[in-house]
Amino acid sequence: MDVQAGPGLMAACYGGGALSSLLLARGSGRLAVGVGHVAACAGALVGLGLSLGVLLGEPGRTIIQPIPVLFPFARLSLSIDGLSAYFLLVISLVAIAAAVYGPAYLRALSPEARPARQAAQGFALNLFLGCMAFVCCAGDALTFLLCWEGMTLASYVLVVSDDRDGENARAGLLYMVMAHGGTALLLVAFLGLTERAGAFDFGALRATASGLDPPTRTMVFFLAFGGFATKAGVIPLHVWLPRAHPAAPSHISALMSGVMLKVAIYGILRFAFDLLAPGAGPLPSSWGWTVLFVGTTSAVLGVLYALQQHDLKRLLAFHSVENIGIILIGAGLAMILWRQEATSSALATVALTAALLHTANHAAFKGLLFLGAGSVLCRTHVRNMEELGGLARRMPSTAALFLLGAVAISALPPLNGFVSEWLTFQALLGGATRVQGPGGLIIVFAAAMLALTGGLAAACFAKAFGVTFLGRPRTPHAEHATEAPPSMIAAMAWLAALCVALGVAPGYAMRLLDAPTSALLGGAGSSAVVAARGPLVLSVALTPSGIGGTAMSMTMIAALLVALTAIAWVLRRGWRRGSRRTAPTWTCGMSPSARFDYTATAFAKPLRLVFAALYHPRRDVTHETSESPYIVRRIHYAGEIVDLAETHIYRRAARDISILSQTIRARSTGSIYGYIGFVLGALVVALLLVGVIYR
Amino acid sequence: MIGDRSFGLVCLEMALLLLAGPLVTGTIQKIKARLQCRTGADLLQPYRDLAKLFRKDSVQADTASGFFRSIPVLVLAATVTAGALVPVIRVGPPALPLGDAILLLGLLALARFLTAIGALDAGGAFGGMGASREMTIAPLVEPVLMMVVFSTAVAAGTTELGALAAHRGTEWLLAWRAADFLGFAAMLMLLPAETGRIPVDNPDTHLELTMLHEGMLLEHSGPGLGCMLLASHTRQMVTLALVSALFFPAGPAGTGAASLLLGVGTSAAKILVLAIFLALVESSYAKLRLFRVPQYLGIGFVCALVALALRIL
Repeated sequence: MDVQAGPGLMAACYGGGALSSLLLARGSGRLAVGVGHVAACAGALVGLGLSLGVLLGEPGRTIIQPIPVLFPFARLSLSIDGLSAYFLLVISLVAIAAAVYGPAYLRALSPEARPARQAAQGFALNLFLGCMAFVCCAGDALTFLLCWEGMTLASYVLVVSDDRDGENARAGLLYMVMAHGGTALLLVAFLGLTERAGAFDFGALRATASGLDPPTRTMVFFLAFGGFATKAGVIPLHVWLPRAHPAAPSHISALMSGVMLKVAIYGILRFAFDLLAPGAGPLPSSWGWTVLFVGTTSAVLGVLYALQQHDLKRLLAFHSVENIGIILIGAGLAMILWRQEATSSALATVALTAALLHTANHAAFKGLLFLGAGSVLCRTHVRNMEELGGLARRMPSTAALFLLGAVAISALPPLNGFVSEWLTFQALLGGATRVQGPGGLIIVFAAAMLALTGGLAAACFAKAFGVTFLGRPRTPHAEHATEAPPSMIAAMAWLAALCVALGVAPGYAMRLLDAPTSALLGGAGSSAVVAARGPLVLSVALTPSGIGGTAMSMTMIAALLVALTAIAWVLRRGWRRGSRRTAPTWTCGMSPSARFDYTATAFAKPLRLVFAALYHPRRDVTHETSESPYIVRRIHYAGEIVDLAETHIYRRAARDISILSQTIRARSTGSIYGYIGFVLGALVVALLLVGVIYR
Repeated sequence: MIGDRSFGLVCLEMALLLLAGPLVTGTIQKIKARLQCRTGADLLQPYRDLAKLFRKDSVQADTASGFFRSIPVLVLAATVTAGALVPVIRVGPPALPLGDAILLLGLLALARFLTAIGALDAGGAFGGMGASREMTIAPLVEPVLMMVVFSTAVAAGTTELGALAAHRGTEWLLAWRAADFLGFAAMLMLLPAETGRIPVDNPDTHLELTMLHEGMLLEHSGPGLGCMLLASHTRQMVTLALVSALFFPAGPAGTGAASLLLGVGTSAAKILVLAIFLALVESSYAKLRLFRVPQYLGIGFVCALVALALRIL
């Protein structure tokens, strides 16, 4: 089938799914959910085929299709180039898993849901996926903004769809406010361009932007970056993310964290390298350095805050902040290095490759982890990991798949998280040698922070996996958990297979990255730069002369690891086959109970003290005594950490605004003369200002 | 680019690191004993311990999950795989590209992560305590190690250890610059942390107050414990080999059997010197309080960052 038919077919699948879910709202809710998810799966498969068709087709091909007339004043179109196709691929890969996972999950989590709610979930899922797909395929500003807004609204519906307490509604409201603040910035950025171009389509915007004066160009970029950064959840614009993502049903959380944030990354890359790029010469240096700085901050602070979370889904949401930071480190570095000298362009390609690969990798493992958390949630109805434990014996497949995701997200070899971090490290090292002086030192510092991030992520997931799945069950909820249904396991296994494939044979994925990297940066694509020595070896040349350089073969290392594991397995059986018996864990002579298990709070305590300056930890311990003060009946412990951005920016802003409004209220006497006086005063001040300015 | 070290040689080096690991531990124990005016156990005692453990039956905690049994095996495999990435006998890039210093650190981190998972599996307080402390120190050590590696890699233009050693081999000891001294100082500070020795960890004790790594091994027994111990011997050996590859990368150039033996001899001498250093430090310092360790590592971080700054600026 021709790829030209792809966009239409994809729209038909998502649109049909959304409509049929709505039409079935009167009838059976289960049918509505089922039809909605089947349609979403079909749409995702079409999207997969379409994106692979573009990525593996003839190089440099762009599919441009007009959209049948929607508005009389603008011609809308779709344009799918390498970058669009790559993000469409990432969206489709996770969407397949979410669509397979969804029906069983929704049924297990709330069996008595009303049909209307189930229909709304089927409708919003299709709308959400369709809008995300078409944001990436948009060929003009209006389509982009309409789909962007549709994506926000559909995900809002999904966030509040599971509203058993007021918490979700509040999370949804905060999400709405922040998302629309971001959209407002985007709107200004787009209007700034369309007003000059007199048209909406990206070709015209590109032509206009190449003639912009540098200050305007930079201002438009930062407006757009602010808008996208709000959606991507970079610190300090992240406050909505750890609330909204956990509130949604888990397969939607997987989509929001794994994919929706990436659409914002798509926007940043599209604006920086395509729409706003100057006709010749490098990008303004302020762009790349800002993105690098913001990325590094998000990576470190995101993982630090994640470490202290005890809500499994909230912890994963904070890790999304971290991983968006890692992607932005790569993207920022690519912006810094692009078109600097002839020799740097290869290095910029490495940096962009790292960012794009981490986009796909994060989608795979974060999707997997959120689905795993969802399986735990639907079997225990508990999100707080202090109330879990011992699930590995009760849900072995879920535990094994979650562990795989945990190894991948902690950037440990031989899985995919390591590969993209390795590329990022190589790009940072190369960048540091190329950008001499203080800039080089900043890049090196970013590398150190990236290493810190990886180590902290490993600590965080040792905690998350260990406390949730290992040891003894701490509550009856965990005690009576059973394995998740097969369709949910299958969805997780699909994402786990992606993690392994991208980790063990990353060279083959480089072929998919050729189209986006050469579309954005020009010159040779990823596979020519990174997989120059065949698909089994990743190699990066750090010095311009090409001598030296580093090569690594994940395939060889994985093979060696497997071989050595087999040898060690034989060795461990011993030359005299020893017997194995089980005995209770040693707890200093007391009878073991779940109270002996290390809790998540205890596990993260040393790091809480080490990084106390960032956490401002607070703890309240109260002793409840009987008549004698020496006999303690009960001890209450409450501890919490603060989110610096939240306390120092948002709370402060809220306080200042309320002080301001209090002051205004005090002046509002209700007397008409007073108001006339204010208006007169304002007029005089305005006139004086105008007089001063236009003197 | 055809490298200088064939795959067979790489495997030989890996096997050497694995087999000589317990000997280095035995040597350090012996030196420590002599410094404390004791006779001390035989140099080969760690081998006897391992042989004993591999003949024993195993006891497993009844709360442990299915992962528990495979963890020692995976930890050992990951650590030994890391051993394939350091040049020991000869310098130069391997003919078959395997991986670089970042991958080596990644594999050691994988082994540590799995050890922590195994410690949490049995569900005792000791395992959790050890895992928590180990995972607190590890994220602080890793960036500093990475900085040290980068400070030498920037000069060589590669992070592949064999090629890095070959690059430095031409301008070795006499050409040391300030950056090398600072990087080496940082590395020496990290060495006890990475090998689990005083002043960061105490390998000789299972006392609740002092242990990190040993606490995580408490629930392993028999061949499983043997694998874990062999892995920690190998880890120490790999770390020492990493130091000598980064800072003393001298090796013979020829290909004959004589130069092969000479290569083994020189690297044994280098590792012996570092082992003596570890034994001296362990005999002359007390263990730091856990919350002093970040400050100690902070000094290492500053050294490494200044070393890198000197290279770049």
